[in-house]
Amino acid sequence: MSDSAELGRQYRRLLACYPRAYRHESEQEILGVLLDSAADGQRRPGLAESADLIRSALWMRLRPGSRLPGTMRGAVRLMCAGAAVELAAVITYVVTAGRVRSAMAQRVPAQWHAMLIHLTAVEILAPAAVVAWLLMAWANGRGYDWARGLSAAFFCLITASLLFMLGEGGAAYAPAELIATAAVWLVGLASVVLIFAKASSRYYRHEPAQP
Amino acid sequence: MQEATFLILTALADGSQHGYRIMTEVEQISEGRVRLRAGTLYTALDRLQAEELIGVDRQEIVDNRLRRYYRLTPDGAKRLAVEAARLHANATAALSRLDLAGGMAT
Repeated sequence: MSDSAELGRQYRRLLACYPRAYRHESEQEILGVLLDSAADGQRRPGLAESADLIRSALWMRLRPGSRLPGTMRGAVRLMCAGAAVELAAVITYVVTAGRVRSAMAQRVPAQWHAMLIHLTAVEILAPAAVVAWLLMAWANGRGYDWARGLSAAFFCLITASLLFMLGEGGAAYAPAELIATAAVWLVGLASVVLIFAKASSRYYRHEPAQP
Repeated sequence: MQEATFLILTALADGSQHGYRIMTEVEQISEGRVRLRAGTLYTALDRLQAEELIGVDRQEIVDNRLRRYYRLTPDGAKRLAVEAARLHANATAALSRLDLAGGMAT
């Protein structure tokens, strides 16, 4: 297989990340641009170029409707940021898990079981929460009313988790986890405020389910 | 307006261009500072079309590759003119103040 054909095949694989309708419209065009800008003898897409295509494809999938009010646009961006913050939180939970458990067993033996269950649940559910943030960004951007309810419920869950950690003295033995949860909570708060703002409410009422 | 958006609109100011040409024009206008990647370019083109600042002019097949040409819409030209005037006014103010303060090296 020639270098160009092999490179084209690899680019097509990356372009498959774009939504089907967009791909149908623009795949050949973008592929042409990618091949035009490729270096002589290049057989594989560069790392930065691949990351750029994946980010663009993700945005095309999550992008809000074109007539979105500013508050909604902000909310969708925040929810995408929420997924990134949540991912950082997941990494924090995993990295600090061992240290937190031993600190907890020493300091608060009485509450050991409740906190252990809570932390384990958070560690298991956090990766799913990354997906939930992206789902909320997508659905709110399209004006689905259920997405607003889901976002509010999700925010309540984060709030409950944060309050539980504070109540059980988490600041003493799991400061990094507490900060990560607080960061997620702040993003959640800001996005919920935006989707329940007056300008956003009109959008949910008038433009349900864009195609 | 973001710099990349400004440069894309500028690349289209004197006539329609296809994607690869827009990338090279943007690099040339910015004297090599801004190099758009394909993903970033097409995200921007998609957004600018949604905002009706640019539109598709025509398309053709060259060497088995589809080339779509984009052009500025009247709204796009107006937005670019407003932004260019704003940047020009800011730059003039900055340069004249530097001059007054004797801060100009040349």
